[in-house]
Parts: sequence; structure tokens; C-alpha cells
Amino acid sequence: MSSSPLLLQDKVAIVTGAARGLGEAVARAYAAEGARVVVSDIDAAGAQRVADSLPGAVAVACDVRVPAQVEALVQAAVDRHGRLDIMVPNAGVARVAPLIATSYEAWRDVTSVNLDGVFLCIRYAAPALIAAGGGHIIPMASVTAKAACALIGSYAAAKAGVVSLAQTAAIELRAHKVQVNAILPAFIETDLVKAHRAEFEEQLGIPDFNAVIAQRQGRYGTPEEVAQLAVFLASGRASFSNGSGYVLDGGVSSSLL
Amino acid sequence: MIELQGRKALITGAAQGLGKAIAELFVERGAQVMLADIDAEGAARTADALGPQARSVRCNVTNSAEVAAAVQATVAAFDGLDTLVNNAGIEIVKPLFDNSEEEYERLMAINVKGVFLGMKHALGPLAASGRGAIVNISSLAGTNGVPLFGTYAASKSAVIQLSRTAAAELRPAGIRVNAVCPGFVGTAMVDRLIPTVEAIVGVPFSALVAVKQLRLGTPREVAEMTAFLASDAASWTTGSHYILDGGLSAGLL
Repeated sequence: MSSSPLLLQDKVAIVTGAARGLGEAVARAYAAEGARVVVSDIDAAGAQRVADSLPGAVAVACDVRVPAQVEALVQAAVDRHGRLDIMVPNAGVARVAPLIATSYEAWRDVTSVNLDGVFLCIRYAAPALIAAGGGHIIPMASVTAKAACALIGSYAAAKAGVVSLAQTAAIELRAHKVQVNAILPAFIETDLVKAHRAEFEEQLGIPDFNAVIAQRQGRYGTPEEVAQLAVFLASGRASFSNGSGYVLDGGVSSSLL
Repeated sequence: MIELQGRKALITGAAQGLGKAIAELFVERGAQVMLADIDAEGAARTADALGPQARSVRCNVTNSAEVAAAVQATVAAFDGLDTLVNNAGIEIVKPLFDNSEEEYERLMAINVKGVFLGMKHALGPLAASGRGAIVNISSLAGTNGVPLFGTYAASKSAVIQLSRTAAAELRPAGIRVNAVCPGFVGTAMVDRLIPTVEAIVGVPFSALVAVKQLRLGTPREVAEMTAFLASDAASWTTGSHYILDGGLSAGLL
């Protein structure tokens, strides 16, 4: 981007689930725009590896299911940099199974990370963002919040909850100049998709998952493309956006056929 | 500031308001911009103020030949067209069934057929560019019912659905199509409708806005969203409609 001014110069950002995948891409894009990134993950070594490769970044291990750990994560960012400007609750997991074969433990595993975790990130980051005079919360939801995909019902339900949380947080926090907007991507060729392609084909009754992707969304999206939206939303350029859920999915959710 | 460097854009309704703000930002970000408007003098004045990256052309978006000519003028001026912003639109503020049939048809012709014609005539050069991007200016009224804005809301809803189908059909041509849905923004259009809204609703407009979205949005903020969707940074976004409304639609009350 040569001589253009950086969009997030000196902003302090926490990204959870940033040891790999979408979170890592967001952390890298933020650092490239001048942010000081707190790279967080339950995988401490993975978070450290990402942080070591980014200027101004630090790693903080965090299990987003545990209130005290999320509180400590926010405190670590404030202790280190004196403020917090951006929180990206991105950590998420999925279990692949039909609802009738989903154990309660599996349901709680998914909802505790994907929904409880986002609540806790909002709950503990908001006071720090208010103290900084305003800021951004950008939860990673999914287009499955809007339309179902067989085998990931618990994931989709949690992501729909994330979109709802973003709406309430937006209207409760907007007087404090805190903007909350969710990102709803589909389908990125993640490890999850790769690992479970055959199960999706069987359960959806389709011979070739990749062919359906090609027909419905042209190709797989990339983590870097999702990260560009996360940059835009955290920048001053999206100052009128609040409580929105932004779909980026190659068009898969926008047409019926 | 280079995200639109090299882009060759046609923007309708660009003499004033949102279209003008979009043209200004596009020029700032490095695009060449053709400002189209039924107000040819206004478009020329705005383009002149923007310098050598901007040109203007008269265009009544309800007239197929004029839309085709505006596309051709853009291709001729910039040696191509890779970005189309369908922004031209009008509003009618009155109870739904006080609209005359003529008012209804005129509004639909500008707000809906105009978008259809813009895409129809531009898709050839957009496909040829290999990086085609269409941004259609819809409205938050396109996603919700709005008392006094019934015909406008219906037309803006149509813009969203046109965008969605176009996105699916034009994907093989490498053209992305998205819509922008602003809440209340401080433009001459909103200034015009304030007395009507206040007279019918019985509440000062400023109080209404303060409760629902804290403040009016700015044309610049709408331009920023448009610029993002037009840029390569939005390469995975197509068929979407992006709401920016200060939280207006996130809450029920």
C-alpha cells in the first residue's frame, strides 16, 4: 500500500483465536496497518509464534470460556499499552454432526466457546473501550447465522447468538462511541471444511462438496479477504456502522439457487 | 489512499448529495470518475471542481439510450469502465395511498429501472475489465417498512433484490454486485423531507434521529462504504447489502 497512511496506526487491538485461520489473518492485517496487536489463543505456543512474526505484537494465552481469563486478557492489553481500542472476538470451534447425534457436551463445547466467549469478550472489553473514549468490537460470526448448513447446527445457533449480541451491545454502547459490528463469512477452506468434506457430502446428499461451492460461490474465500473487512470496520472509515452484520460470502447466501 | 487507483468509474446522480460525495472520495482515492446526472450543468460544475480526473455527462437514468450513452462516454474518456455506482434516486414523502399512480410510476422508473438500465448497459465493459464492481445505493428503507416512505422503501427493496440476482448471474463474468443501505444521512433530500415528517409524526425530526441513531450520518460516511465495496479489499463480497445506520435497525424501539 506504499505511501498511503496506515489505517490503524498505534491502535491497540486484541484478536482472540489468533494462532491460526481467520484470527491470524486479522492479526496480520491489523499489524500491517500499524496496530499493536495482542495475539490471543488457547494455544499459547501458536499465539506466540504469530506474535513473534509481527512488529509490536505480544501473545497472551486465553481460554475465552473462562471469565477470569478474559478479564485478565483485557487487563494485559491495558497494562502493556495503556489502552484498548479494538476487540475482535474471533475464537471459535465447530463440531460436525447432525443435531440428533449431538451430545449435550458437544453442544456446550461449541456454544461455550462461540457464544459465551463472545459475551465475555464484550463484557470485559467494553469498560476498557469506554475508558479509551470509544472503540470497536468486531465479533466473528458466520453466514450460518442466517441460513442453515446441515451438520453444524450448534455452530450456526451460536453464531446467530453472536449477531444478536452485537446488536444489543451496539445500541447499549453507542453513547460511549463504541461501535459493534459482526462479520459473517462463508465458506473459507478451513481445516474444518477439509477434514469433514466427505461427511458434508454424505449428509447433504451431494456427490462433490467442492463442485457445489464452485457453483454457489465461485470459489472458496480466503482468510485475508475476511481480514480486509475487519480492517475497514475498525478504521475511522466505517464511523456510521453500528449493530450491523456484514456478510461476505461470494454471494452464496444472496440467491436461492 | 490508493485503494481506487486506476479505477474507472461511472456514478449516476453525481451532481449533488451522496453522488457528489462518492465522486469526491473516489477522486481522492485515485479513481477517474464520470459524473452522470439529469442536471447536466450541476454535474459539469461538480466535475470541474474535482479536476482532471473527473468528467461529466448528462443522463436521465430512465432513458435507455441516455444510459447507454453515459456508459459509452465513460469508456471513451477513460479507455474502459470497471466500476459502476447506481446512485440516482428520488424520494416521495407522504402516506402510501396518497401517492398518485403517476408519482408511483415515476419513482419506480428512476429508482428501480434506472438501476436495472445502468447494470444492463455497463455489464459489457465491466466484464471486459476483469475487475468489475457495481455498487447500488439502496437505503435502510429497503430492509424495513417506513411510514411516509412507502414507495421509496419498495423501490429500495427492489434495488437489493436486483443486486442479489445480478451478483449470482454476473459472478462468472468476474463482476461483484453489492448494495449500500444508509439510515438517515444529512443531505438536501433529508432537509427537504423534514417539515413533512414533522407535520405528520408530530415529533421534531432532530429528536427522532437522536433517539434512533444518535445523529445523522454524513455523505462522506456513505461514500466510504461505497468506496470499500468498490475496492479490491472487498473481493469476497458480492450479493450483499451493507447497512450503515448508527444502530437504527439493530434495536426494536
